[in-house]
Amino acid sequence: MVGYLLHRFWHMVLTLFAMATLMFFLFRLLPGDPTATVISPSLYPKAQEAMRQQFGLDRPLFEQYLLYLRNLCVLDFGFSFQTNRPVFEMIQGRLLNTILLILPSMLAAYLLGAIIGAVAAWRRGGTTEVGLVFTATALQSAPLFWLGMLAILLFSIKLDLFPIGHIVTPGAFPEQDWRMYLSADFLHHLALPFLVNTLYQLCFPLLLMRSTMLSTIGEDYIELARMKGLSERRVLFGHAARNALLPLATTLPMILGWAVAGSVVIETVFSWPGLGLLMIEAISRADYPVAQAAFLLIAVLTVLGTFIADLLYGLLDPRIVYA
Amino acid sequence: MPANDTRPLLSIAGLSASYGTPRGPASALAQIDLELGKGENLGLIGESGCGKSTLLKTVMGVMPGNARIDAGHIAFQGRDLVSASPEQRRAVRWAGISMVTQSALNALNPVLRVGDQIAEAILAHRQVSRAEAWRRTQELLAMVGVAPERARDYPHQFSGGMRQRAIIAMALALEPPLVLADEPTTALDVVVQDQIFRSLRELQQRLGFSLLLVTHDLALVIENCERVAVMYAGQIVETGPTRDVIRRPAHPYTLGLKNALPRLGSRDEPIAIPGGPPDLVDPPPGCRFAARCPFALPLCRSEPPQLATVAPGRRARCHRAAEIDALAPLAALPQTWDALREGPG
Repeated sequence: MVGYLLHRFWHMVLTLFAMATLMFFLFRLLPGDPTATVISPSLYPKAQEAMRQQFGLDRPLFEQYLLYLRNLCVLDFGFSFQTNRPVFEMIQGRLLNTILLILPSMLAAYLLGAIIGAVAAWRRGGTTEVGLVFTATALQSAPLFWLGMLAILLFSIKLDLFPIGHIVTPGAFPEQDWRMYLSADFLHHLALPFLVNTLYQLCFPLLLMRSTMLSTIGEDYIELARMKGLSERRVLFGHAARNALLPLATTLPMILGWAVAGSVVIETVFSWPGLGLLMIEAISRADYPVAQAAFLLIAVLTVLGTFIADLLYGLLDPRIVYA
Repeated sequence: MPANDTRPLLSIAGLSASYGTPRGPASALAQIDLELGKGENLGLIGESGCGKSTLLKTVMGVMPGNARIDAGHIAFQGRDLVSASPEQRRAVRWAGISMVTQSALNALNPVLRVGDQIAEAILAHRQVSRAEAWRRTQELLAMVGVAPERARDYPHQFSGGMRQRAIIAMALALEPPLVLADEPTTALDVVVQDQIFRSLRELQQRLGFSLLLVTHDLALVIENCERVAVMYAGQIVETGPTRDVIRRPAHPYTLGLKNALPRLGSRDEPIAIPGGPPDLVDPPPGCRFAARCPFALPLCRSEPPQLATVAPGRRARCHRAAEIDALAPLAALPQTWDALREGPG
């Protein structure tokens, strides 16, 4: 087990190293001179030179790359071109906002999706199943931004139940500290993006759960469980769902990393000041250090998620032994 | 049930069931009559697809969604199961009638501990604590010859024979009066098969349950069952004491089955019955075996025979059952069946 962990950890480090390298060269391959937004060509050549030196841009590419890797190891992502604040500090707060929205939403989506999917499979052929599958497929195919805009139109503008965006009422918490997150105002702002995202995200686990359940239901042990005189509920959740859950549970951590990246859409629609919105802002303003760090963070989360998924599989399926 | 009750433990009368198929209902069981007394062993034999497993599933009440009972009764300890409510049926399941299924890995849930799967049967029917159910589970495993501490193992950690033993332990968990066994040792080698049946017989002497053994292996029935029922295309074609039925079959199909049984010391090739079972969506109007029967008369193709008493305790579904002693020597000759192979007539 420990050997396996070390082995997997080493793989994770290698993957991340490859990602970081790719990211470094990708940003340098981008057309145009990214430094132009910061180092204005109208400055004196001497001043321009001095600034290049300050950023280390006068050195050979390989040296820049080594410097970049060294900085990554100490979590130094440099300074934002726009705000001149350290990138690490900017991302920290935004990441928390994203996690507060996305994590509970994804967990709720998976929990609900699994339960509804299991019930749909159990009611195979009935109107309940057909209705659920149709709704889930339709929702999943709809663009998320469109769903978000519809929700804002209906619940915020027509019914005036929820605010149309932002994390708290602007100006309510000038210090922007932890007290903000404990307020009813925050929950009020969280509700609508949470609901829209959950509804959208639960379609995938629902459909996956339904199809794996359908193949599980035909197994001999399900028939045996029923013959044992167990209640339908126990057969459904104790035997069938327990098995069908395996592929679902392992997609969750992987999807979590991806969902953080996918938060771009929901955060943009609801002006939620999270990582996704930061990324959009950074790209549109050519704030390369911020964009680079945000992309890297998503890569880290995805790789970490895959790692957790691997461990989870062994926990859920006794047949898998780590060696 | 009072001790002096003379009613059979299980009594199936006129049971017909069908599967819905795209072409229409397939008559999987037709007019099944079967009785099983207390402590008795009945072998149910027939080729694949003859309805053996459907019959067991119908008795257990776990028929697939496209199957339905068209007519008949299944009386267990005098109470009809066909008309019973789902709640009443669930109470009878396992506590009254349990089942030993095939030992394939699939019969046990791969992600649950073997012990938990046995204990949950106990917990579903008895008001006992988890600890008590677990203790009983370990007793049961010891009883079937599996080390009790293996209860904590998962099915994939068991050998094929151990899995079969665990399934037997599960079937006996509530000491039911009736145990159904569906080809219990098909996937096992002969040595293990023999061990399993030996311990099954020992357990039966100790616990006194009745056994309905479903198999396509005639030898198993001869070794284990005092009575046998032969099934063909959803019907019982012959029943009676195993010795009599095997020695002097009263139905041409049984004669054919006997021919197909390889005999030790005999140099003769086993003779196969030519052809295949009829289409159950559109069964033949007469006898269902007529198309494969070397002795079929025009009457056999038009008029369905009834399951009639041919001797005390023996019944057969054949128009020519009375002449069977004259037909039996012919049935032992390969030419008799070869004639069929070349086309009817």
